[in-house]
Amino acid sequence: MEERIKKISEAVKTIIECIGEDPKRQGLLKTPDRCAQSFMFFSKGYEESIEQIINDAIFEEDHDEMVIVKNIDVFSLCEHHLVPFTGKISIGYIPNRRVLGLSKLARIAEMFSRRLQLQERLTKQIAVALQEILKPQGVAVVMEATHLCMVMRGVQKPGSTTTTSVMLGVFREQAKTREEFLTLIKN
Amino acid sequence: MDFTQETGYYAPIPQKATSSTNGLIISHPYPLASRSDSPIDIDGLSWPSIGTKQRLYETKEQKEERIKKLTEAVKTIIECIGEDPKRQGLFKTPERCAQSFMFFSKGYEESIEQIINDAIFEEDHDEMVIVKNIDVFSLCEHHLVPFTGKISIGYIPNRRVLGLSKLARIAETFSRRFQLQERLTKQIAVTLQEILRPQGVAVVMEATHLCMVARGVQKPGSSTTTSVMLGGFREQANIREEFLSLIKN
Repeated sequence: MEERIKKISEAVKTIIECIGEDPKRQGLLKTPDRCAQSFMFFSKGYEESIEQIINDAIFEEDHDEMVIVKNIDVFSLCEHHLVPFTGKISIGYIPNRRVLGLSKLARIAEMFSRRLQLQERLTKQIAVALQEILKPQGVAVVMEATHLCMVMRGVQKPGSTTTTSVMLGVFREQAKTREEFLTLIKN
Repeated sequence: MDFTQETGYYAPIPQKATSSTNGLIISHPYPLASRSDSPIDIDGLSWPSIGTKQRLYETKEQKEERIKKLTEAVKTIIECIGEDPKRQGLFKTPERCAQSFMFFSKGYEESIEQIINDAIFEEDHDEMVIVKNIDVFSLCEHHLVPFTGKISIGYIPNRRVLGLSKLARIAETFSRRFQLQERLTKQIAVTLQEILRPQGVAVVMEATHLCMVARGVQKPGSSTTTSVMLGGFREQANIREEFLSLIKN
């Protein structure tokens, strides 16, 4: 692990030199190490395992109405530019006798977001993971995010947001269910 | 760079630098002298970093070399965090990321004179002029993670008025660097003070630092506000108050 941090620090030091800054000035002296720790933190999702996160928080419950956890703040790194994209995820599911601890929905979102991601893939991975764990009647995940890679650089359009969604099970088949979910997550 | 053209009110025409070592005269490709305490340096740059002049005046091959080094560094980072740099989504990421970093640090090599572009006008106006809610995006120099915010700039002219977009352009120049929010605010204020010699300059910046929102203490919704008040804004409380209430939404 320390070997990795050291290699990333060297790489960051190269980056700082290449853009013309002085890696020895006071403000930048420890930046390579801090930046290396940041990158390891931003990619910690790769080493987390679903079982550890769920931690057996699946309960048998006679509930078959929609359960929604909305406005989960997530922060991820765009895999094309390594620039953050930040947004909110709303997750809904209709249990099939198995209910998940509510914070686990947010933890799953966090785990998949702490990686080099594509917003479409992130949304899908959360939905498919829930489908696999709970085998519910349906899962719906909607994500709305601001991509700094198109706000800070490139086309430079602040205020623009990207919305992706994945509907599985009854959310996909029945329009009314989908509509109810979308209405409930609207602010 | 054509050094023989006019450079404006405040900077002398830069000469090609020569230095003497053991009696040998060595000619450098770029001006060596600098006034690092002034917002406008000898050749128009503004607080450049140590390698800025080399980056600005280098040849095409040297620039490609630089981008290549950056690309290699990013590839190392991707490998070290455990990802596969050969998979389709990450294949061209090192190049894209290198170009991004060059873009995020282009502020070092911009010359204030070129930005101002002689847009200073003699105008008999001595009331407050404010340009507010300028979106800026910068990189935190401690973590190389973006911080984004809005800057509001106000000044009271002293017979010299600046083209309004130039206020935003100056904010943009100083933000496209590895910055500290405090330093960014101050650099904008001091530069305006130097260019216009107005009766007062006020700069207020409110920003969200992803380095404390996406990592570390992880507090989304928090924002940092810094301000610099010079001249009339510093000395007179009612002027400051008027500015602050005018920039409130």
